[in-house]
Amino acid sequence: MKKLILLCALSFGISLAHKKASLGAFDGFVDRMGTGAHELSRGNTGSADTAALPGAYWNPAILAFKNHFHYSLHAEKRDLDRSGGSLGLDTRIGKRMGIGFAMLYRGDFHFDVINDDDETLGEARPYFTMMHLGFAYRLSRLDAIGISFSMSYDNLDLASYYQDIQLVDAFQSPISFNLGWIRQWNSKWSSSVVIRNLSFSKNLSATWTRNPSVDNSVISTHGFRPKALQVGLGYRSQIFSKPVSAWLEAIDYQIADTLLAFDPDRHVWTARIGFDLEAIPKGRISVGMDGLQFSAGLGYQLDLRIAKKIYPIDLSYALLYESNVQLWSPLSFTIRGNFP
Amino acid sequence: MKLSISSFLLMGFLSAFAIESSLVSNFTFAVSQGPKSGSLWVLSRGDAGSGVSLIQLSNGESKVNVQSINSDYFDHNQSAVQDGVFSDVTAETRRTPSFFASNFGWVLPWFEADSLNSFTQPKGLFFLRTQRVIEEILEEPIVELPSETNLPIHKAIGAFAFDSVKNHLWIAKGVLGLAKYTSDTQSSTPSLDYFVLNTKTNTLDSLKNGASIQKENPSLYSVAIHPTTQELWLASESGLYIEKAPQKITAVQELSKKRVTGLWMGGSPLQIIVESSIREKGKTKSSLWRSYNGSKFKEVVFRDTLSKTHKNAYDDLDYSVSEVAFIGNLAFLAVQTIEGSVSGLLKLDSVGAIPWSHSRQWLYGVEAGVLNNNSILTSVTSFPLDSKTTGLAVSSYGSGVSVSADTGKTWTHILNQSPVSNDLGSIRMIPSVIVATGKTQIAYKLSQDSKVTIEVFSYDMIKVKTIVKNAFREKNAVRSSKPTEDYWDGLDEHGRACAMGIYYIRVQDNHGHVGWGKAMSLGGAKK
Repeated sequence: MKKLILLCALSFGISLAHKKASLGAFDGFVDRMGTGAHELSRGNTGSADTAALPGAYWNPAILAFKNHFHYSLHAEKRDLDRSGGSLGLDTRIGKRMGIGFAMLYRGDFHFDVINDDDETLGEARPYFTMMHLGFAYRLSRLDAIGISFSMSYDNLDLASYYQDIQLVDAFQSPISFNLGWIRQWNSKWSSSVVIRNLSFSKNLSATWTRNPSVDNSVISTHGFRPKALQVGLGYRSQIFSKPVSAWLEAIDYQIADTLLAFDPDRHVWTARIGFDLEAIPKGRISVGMDGLQFSAGLGYQLDLRIAKKIYPIDLSYALLYESNVQLWSPLSFTIRGNFP
Repeated sequence: MKLSISSFLLMGFLSAFAIESSLVSNFTFAVSQGPKSGSLWVLSRGDAGSGVSLIQLSNGESKVNVQSINSDYFDHNQSAVQDGVFSDVTAETRRTPSFFASNFGWVLPWFEADSLNSFTQPKGLFFLRTQRVIEEILEEPIVELPSETNLPIHKAIGAFAFDSVKNHLWIAKGVLGLAKYTSDTQSSTPSLDYFVLNTKTNTLDSLKNGASIQKENPSLYSVAIHPTTQELWLASESGLYIEKAPQKITAVQELSKKRVTGLWMGGSPLQIIVESSIREKGKTKSSLWRSYNGSKFKEVVFRDTLSKTHKNAYDDLDYSVSEVAFIGNLAFLAVQTIEGSVSGLLKLDSVGAIPWSHSRQWLYGVEAGVLNNNSILTSVTSFPLDSKTTGLAVSSYGSGVSVSADTGKTWTHILNQSPVSNDLGSIRMIPSVIVATGKTQIAYKLSQDSKVTIEVFSYDMIKVKTIVKNAFREKNAVRSSKPTEDYWDGLDEHGRACAMGIYYIRVQDNHGHVGWGKAMSLGGAKK
């Protein structure tokens, strides 16, 4: 219990760290927002959990710990017409390797396109996706490393509303990659390190140019997803014979297109913390904080028997509260399972 | 030389003019007195095309009231606004000329779209009357032109003047000199004759087919008829000339050899305002001259708020004049900076430009309440608002028209505004798609005076920028937002261009109301 309190205090301290730059002005919100109702309900933590899905997104090293073919399907609706979702597929290859695919989706299904003349031209449905293809290798019984290749595809859904300008709707980033490591120290402790948004370009930065118009009538823009160092810690225990777990992640976003920047103004730190309690057999309660966003959730595992085989299906629900803007999002669901 | 002119009805107008009960667009380029007392013609060119509106006004106790607005569009390949009206660097092409002549109605230039759908081809005239719009193709004489003035824009209309005695409409046609359009209302065959200045012989020569334009035939940019002497005044690239006797011209000495790009007359006592402008070494240099009550032409004096005189203020700021209106001894000039985005109303009294307490002390714009938002002021006119009052009206690129019944002290803004719900029930972002350093206005409505906080958030609700914090806003039946402050420029708190994507704008008042708007940024240049 003391350890849990310690983790709480550490998380709080980090989340109050002074932010000297606007992380929100940069690309990468699909990556930052995470996915999966279980992970979201416990503060968007998952990089140190070998059971987190989809592994290719959370930490590609996780893929080496998968014993079966796993799937996950997530859907959520947040206030202000924001929708989200993901599809994840993870599987083991051989004894030491794993492979996984993840596609994360975020969109807005009601964006009024209003022109300079204060006329509503119509309703756009922009969406933003990120795809990850991950590979992992198990170094030992306890350790694994992984790499996932990522690419974003966005569609602004605006071009049809502008006749005078030949706008481009679809944008695709070049391939970037994430590196991951995880260690399951023992039955209680696990830790992870993930470095996100590296690229093959100069400074290893995930940066690219986007041209919003075919006829160059709109200025080209610079795409840049900040590199992130994500350090995770997990702890499993029991309280009154009920399994509990605590998860902590500290993330440093380097908002500079340099290899390494030591200026604190070029860094944004944030922290995530979450707890799971298996209150009833196969039934789970989760709570967490991602920065100043509070979340809670429920989960239950069903066992589906087909032809003498048991197919576990995990249903999760998350309730999100974006406290800095006082927005509740009560609709977040995930179904996941595996084929043994 | 008589040329054939084709004319036809564009549309039935009296009843059909009520196709739209709002302005064609808030992007207005010219405004003029209408056919009746209290009426205004307005020319717009927006996303949906070009068109005109006829606004009927009445003079209320505290503001000018709109009785009706009737609008209609030109054909999609027609406009009275040429494409380079803002981008051109020559003063004479940065305005949309128009003229109200009782016999002809409101006269506007007619531009046709070229193969690139740009309105660069001068084609003729529009005559707007309450019952109909008439298009007149202005046939041009086939003449040899100097190669440097062979573009269509060099033959565009610069100004109109109307001789009500002879029923002549004079048209400054650039390199083609002066066109005289005569239309007898009883006859269906109007005539058109062209003349060029001849600075060698000091004559106004007829321009015939097959002639060639020589150095002594300067381009004509403006024309006016002296209200007392009925003499024809001609602004040319080699000076200002007066037709003292039929087809005999005399140069105005003070403006000798000046490239005179604008000429306006009016007011009581009579003011003659002249703009000279020349492009040299990649920069446009303009000067403003005035003859007040018959005096010789002198450069307009600019005073600051401490009454200190600034002689070269106009030259230094590279203004160009779009239009001038006169009320009594005051002149109101719609001006904008060339290669800049600063514009406003310049107010002249008997001494010179009148300042007001603002850093841009000679330009009356959005801060002075002339415009509803920070848009470019494109034209100005005076008009009979009622039997006792002379109204002042301005057009603007984005803020419709503004009308004043008290000689510019207070203004009523007339523009198309989609409704927003009370107490932040809905927030409109206008436009909702921008690029970084662009501007999206945040429109909202309050039912009581409030302190308002506006913040921008990313998709994942990370705060990107605080626009205003606890700023006082008045209740308003239409909109409470303050255009000079309540906008987002696509930048974050630190001045960086925000990444391409969707952003959420929260407006909160101190009475517990919260509203959200959305804007999309297409990003901006790398910083």
